[in-house]
Amino acid sequence: MSAGTIAARLSGATPVQVLSCVLFAAFAVLIVVPELVAPQSPLAVDPGRALQPPSAAHWFGTDDVGRDLFARVIHATRITLGLVAGALLASAILGGGLGLVAGYAGGTLDLVAARVVDVILTFPPIIAGVVITGILGPGATNLVLALAIVYLPMFFRIARSGALAESRRTYVEAARALGFGEASIMLRQVAPNVLPLVLLQYVVLFPLALQIEAALGFLGLGVAPPTPDWGAILEQGKNFILVAWWISLWPGLFLLASAFAVMVLGRMLQQRLGSG
Amino acid sequence: MLRFLASRLASSLLAAALSSLVVFALMRAVPGDIVAQMLGQSGDAAAASALRGFFGLDRPIHVQFAEWVGQVLQGDLGRSWYQGKRVSLLVAEAFLVTLEVALATLLLATLVGVPLGVLAGIMEGSRVDAAIQVFNLAGLSAPVFWVGLMLLVGASSILGWSPPFAYMPPSVDLADNIAILVLPVLSLAVLQAAAYSHFVRDCMTAELRREYVRAAIAKGLSPARVHFRHVLRNILIPLVTFMGLILIQILGGTVVIESLFSLPGLGRLILSGIQGRDYPVVQGALLFVVAIAIVVNLVVDLLYGLIDPRLRP
Repeated sequence: MSAGTIAARLSGATPVQVLSCVLFAAFAVLIVVPELVAPQSPLAVDPGRALQPPSAAHWFGTDDVGRDLFARVIHATRITLGLVAGALLASAILGGGLGLVAGYAGGTLDLVAARVVDVILTFPPIIAGVVITGILGPGATNLVLALAIVYLPMFFRIARSGALAESRRTYVEAARALGFGEASIMLRQVAPNVLPLVLLQYVVLFPLALQIEAALGFLGLGVAPPTPDWGAILEQGKNFILVAWWISLWPGLFLLASAFAVMVLGRMLQQRLGSG
Repeated sequence: MLRFLASRLASSLLAAALSSLVVFALMRAVPGDIVAQMLGQSGDAAAASALRGFFGLDRPIHVQFAEWVGQVLQGDLGRSWYQGKRVSLLVAEAFLVTLEVALATLLLATLVGVPLGVLAGIMEGSRVDAAIQVFNLAGLSAPVFWVGLMLLVGASSILGWSPPFAYMPPSVDLADNIAILVLPVLSLAVLQAAAYSHFVRDCMTAELRREYVRAAIAKGLSPARVHFRHVLRNILIPLVTFMGLILIQILGGTVVIESLFSLPGLGRLILSGIQGRDYPVVQGALLFVVAIAIVVNLVVDLLYGLIDPRLRP
């Protein structure tokens, strides 16, 4: 694509959309090569330089044990966003797959799956997250597990209703008449038509899951310190909020910016698909 | 309508019962219970087994669950293993705190969010609309507790004011109570106002494209009359549903804010119960949260009929 076509495409975009594209590019860089942006170690402790405000040496200041916050926040990008992306992916595969089968096959399987999903839905997402990580204990694995379980019903429902609608279309009937097996119709014909719905749901849920991830980190139920994670840094900053506000400011801004960028992308996709 | 409500209620109750069972089993399946916490590393086996017998933890899980369900059906949620108080009392006290925060948040968010959304919808495509949309997206993107932290910093550095540390019920000292709740409610309201405004804007723009709006304006009705008498009335239904959703969300979402501002609400009760492995408290409080969500959803269903006579039974 030439510079001209990019400019032409961008000229149709709103300022908010352009901003979100820029943010996307910036976060991509931070995820792929954080050490180029922040060469300092995110883990190196220097008690002599604890709780220093932002300066030329430490752009974002230092935390209570003298770690460089710029390095910590930058290096946390990959960890925080990666955890959320991975958890939602697991959720999408599991919930989407289950929803596809339930919607396409219907019957008892559909009924049972819907009941199981209803159990998860009885709790508000953050409460379900607190219950799961609280009982199983903090740590990255349990955090991912909790997020994957919490968002499973949303993927299940969207894939189920998509598969249900598709299963009544003429092409399915035609495939059946041609002698294709049910499993083959479901996976090769129906699934590709349900996939865009699941993808859109993924993008829409991402900012929400990010909030829950950060909240659980903030409650001390997420990634264990000293691993850099935005929620965990916020948890650490909470105790120093009135003496060292900068510990809390930056991870929150990064959370805001990444959720903002994904949310704008979700809106664009929704409008494209004509459902928003 | 009645049959619909009854079947909704039945499936909700089934889900509530199953979720209680899952939480019950999960808590007991994971290593580390209240006895392990009380005795620590040094606990000897005889004391541990005696304590487990005291709490009834030595019996099979299904027996424990059956007993708990039996109690609940008689309206007894048991007693906290740590505090010895009735769980129903603890839940009621905590719920009043959370409810006060939630209602104040809902009120503030509605008062700010709905007009913003209506304005943005009417002025679609204008600068005002763009500014409101940026507020919506930023409000939805900012973590609630981070907004709370920043408000704390702002209040202390700009106003030289910090909220009191200990929670005070409104019946004891109303001024102190309000002083404590200002920041938590503000932090929650930013998110919910943004959510409201976002939602109302979408409803408005979709509604304004409908034929009857064009017809009404062609007929010579003033745009203001069309907007406020016709369009607004038509988006009331999605608005009420959304209000129910938001109320449930606030009731659950306060857990982080309660932890930040040391409010003794429901979320904190659940969290401390889980951390202390105080099973009766966790079971009782979660059951209560689930029950509230079911009731709110049912009320929303009933309100439909009130707003739109066509949906009445």
